[in-house]
Amino acid sequence: MNSTNRDAAPAEPGTGSADYGPWRLALRRFLRNRVAVAFLVLFFLIVLFVLAAPLWAHHVAHTGPNETHTLQKLHVNGETREVVTPEGKPIGPQWFEAGGKFFLGADSRLGRDEMVRLMYGGRTSLLIGFVSGLITTLLAVVLGLLAGYYRGWVDAVIARTLDVLWSLPVLLFGIAIGTASALGGLGIGPIHIPGGSIWIPIFVISIFYTPYVARPIRGEVLSLGEKEFVEAAIAQGAGPLRVMFGELLPNLASTIVVFFALNIANNMLFEAALSFLGAGVQPPNSSWGTMITVGEELLTTQPLLAIIPGVMIMLTVLSLNIVGDGLRDALDPRSKVRFEAKTGVAEPEGAAI
Amino acid sequence: MKKLRAVIAVLGLAAVAALGLVSCGGGGGSSSGSSGGGGKEGGTLNATYASFPDYLDPQLSYTQEGWTAMADVYIPLLTYKHAEGTEGSEVIPGLAKEMPEISNGGKTYTLFLRKGLKYSNGKPVKASDFAYAVERCFKLNSGGSVFYTSIVGAQKFAETKQGGIPGIKTNDKTGEIQIELEKPRGTFVNELGLMFVAPVPKGTPMEDLSGNPPPGTGPYMITKSQPGRGWEYARNPYWAKANEEEMPDYPSGNVDGAKVTVVRNPDTQVNDVEQGKFDWMENPPPASRYAQVKEKFEGTQFKVVPTISTYYFWMNVTQPPFNDPKVRQAVNYAIDPAALERIYAGQIEASHQILPNGMPGHKPINLYPHSMSKAKEMLEEANPSDMNITVWTDTESPNKEAGEYYEGVLAELGFNTKLKEINADNYFTVIGNLSTPDLDTGWSDWFQDYPHPNDFFQPLLAGESILKTNNGNFAQINEPKLNQEITELREQQLGPKQEQQYSELDKKYMELAPWAPYGQRTLSTFVSSAINLESVIFNPTFGHYLTSFEFNE
Repeated sequence: MNSTNRDAAPAEPGTGSADYGPWRLALRRFLRNRVAVAFLVLFFLIVLFVLAAPLWAHHVAHTGPNETHTLQKLHVNGETREVVTPEGKPIGPQWFEAGGKFFLGADSRLGRDEMVRLMYGGRTSLLIGFVSGLITTLLAVVLGLLAGYYRGWVDAVIARTLDVLWSLPVLLFGIAIGTASALGGLGIGPIHIPGGSIWIPIFVISIFYTPYVARPIRGEVLSLGEKEFVEAAIAQGAGPLRVMFGELLPNLASTIVVFFALNIANNMLFEAALSFLGAGVQPPNSSWGTMITVGEELLTTQPLLAIIPGVMIMLTVLSLNIVGDGLRDALDPRSKVRFEAKTGVAEPEGAAI
Repeated sequence: MKKLRAVIAVLGLAAVAALGLVSCGGGGGSSSGSSGGGGKEGGTLNATYASFPDYLDPQLSYTQEGWTAMADVYIPLLTYKHAEGTEGSEVIPGLAKEMPEISNGGKTYTLFLRKGLKYSNGKPVKASDFAYAVERCFKLNSGGSVFYTSIVGAQKFAETKQGGIPGIKTNDKTGEIQIELEKPRGTFVNELGLMFVAPVPKGTPMEDLSGNPPPGTGPYMITKSQPGRGWEYARNPYWAKANEEEMPDYPSGNVDGAKVTVVRNPDTQVNDVEQGKFDWMENPPPASRYAQVKEKFEGTQFKVVPTISTYYFWMNVTQPPFNDPKVRQAVNYAIDPAALERIYAGQIEASHQILPNGMPGHKPINLYPHSMSKAKEMLEEANPSDMNITVWTDTESPNKEAGEYYEGVLAELGFNTKLKEINADNYFTVIGNLSTPDLDTGWSDWFQDYPHPNDFFQPLLAGESILKTNNGNFAQINEPKLNQEITELREQQLGPKQEQQYSELDKKYMELAPWAPYGQRTLSTFVSSAINLESVIFNPTFGHYLTSFEFNE
């Protein structure tokens, strides 16, 4: 019927009893994984950091992410500093010396505040990663359920389509579509996405990453379809929709949650690559990928301009990956058990999920 | 003239041409392109461009890159002296024996082709090939065709693309070429020196041949072209066999050939030239490295070269919001050339007018001293109905940053802006195509085609220059009164009176403000330690001549 019908898994030692629901047990297991919890906290801090962008921009930096300050001068400790020198060199990090203005310096000869762009750029990167992750997951779940449940020609069509998408060189196709649509926009039936919209990279990423999630889900649905609880539901007269979304989907929850977290990380990396190559987020808007491109030009003289957004991408992706792994271990302890059994760790007793 | 990228390319071509000229002399011919001494013949020049030229087709290219790339490959009937500065602005005979005889009140030009000339494929050069090149220019809707519409019958040919151009009479036996103009045209000698009308063999396909450039007459030939990636030169075998003897004043070049690679990252280009992986970079170092390169290499591997150019933002006057002069004037007040000077890291000298310093007729004016408050005030008065605009620029630094700066200024004025950055390879093709949607405003530059002020008005601001493709009048301004003035001035030989009139024309256009000009560019020559910097020639029209490059002893 639902997740409780799945194969019995060993109980967690010290969990007490089966009084706890499966999600609560999973939460307890997750909370015991200190590394995953630490990186979840880090991820939340990053999210808070980017959400605070308007506050920092308005109350500290007093500038927007795309405002240029080429000729502006800062007065710091009685000294006048040019935001951009006549030779075109942008000012370096001022930390709090200028009251928080140009905290990380200026981004280029345009004299835009690097810190403000980092925060707004993070919003864009995370938004694209999250929304495209959501779309990818939705598409993957629907396609995986349809293919795995109906099998036959439906499965053949969906699976082969996914195979075709899988076989394409994702980055090259992403660049091609991103570049082509950056000019005239993207038309999909009645929907038209204007050029330069962040929905273009979101669309490109969502489509190309769908097979990476849909195929494993399809496999799991095929496997679950053989289980007694599915046969029982059908015997009780449940229709296809009810079986797919009432019986199969709850049993896919843990897989979906894990894939979703990992997907956001992958999508952010893909967005950064697309934007770095000019096919993702379009200027003057910033994302961490575009900031690396801008910083690259000044790599020899102002390396922080490229390094800082790079580190932000790394930390976000790393935290999402570790949290994703932690979720997988918490929601599907069998995988951990199998690993521990192989490595000689004693198998716990009892049922957990 | 052409755009900066085009200019740079022209410079490069010129350099290539110079090299070719110097080196082509393999057969012991003159090597007048070599100036510095201390160089040697032979070797292959390993060059790099930041982008592929708009076209590698003599009838089509209208960028500095394209002209630089082809200057020593396709020689027109007249050409420009292989020299720098004012001397390089002198028009001299190219494939023609002598300068044209002008008769019939300035309406008939008679020239004679040098005898025994051959194309790089061995075919003889015929007088009728000139007519074919002009027709090809029109049939391909070349941006340069506007220079030749005053030839009798050319306008009709441009419309119908059928029959011939009756104003061009040629005799293949005697080599005589007679050109009849509808009206006198004071700039026509300069225009005969442009590559648009460089002869190509009759039968050359009426299509863009950038991937397989047609045979030429210069000391070098393009042996391989991979659009977007690069191209290669070798000595034209028929230069030494035939043309060199006929054109003793034309340099034969020093290097045996050249290989050009497109490297889109100018930082990498600088590193590679420093390390000797490339012998020359056609474009200037990026703004972020400019000061460093200049300080380290000036005099040995680097020199600054002045240009006759104008950098500007154009505004499409045919549709809101820029159909209102007040809006355009407001934008002019909002632009701060001093900020753009800094964005170009000192490689641009601020100015706010159409005619650049050094061009006859230039008189400094600044109708719009920077004032954002005044700009906002004017815009409020104008109260444009449409505030949604698209801003165009290319992806090559620092033009990219200039476009982003401009977009920021327009946003500060209250416009809802959308920035479109187009790959530099295609930028002018895209914005020069009137069917491209949302051509509201954007960046451009212009380098003189030839040292005549008409060159800054007719191709860029005259109504007849508005073309469906390869358009150069990006503002699409078509003011009948000013068109008439351009036409009348074009018919006269340039003198103090005409210079004064051009100066007034500059002011009149700036009052209408189809552009927001912001400066005049300096370029540079940056070569590896293997190259003799002294020998490299930067011509104000064609840029670096390939024939002028030579390796150090």
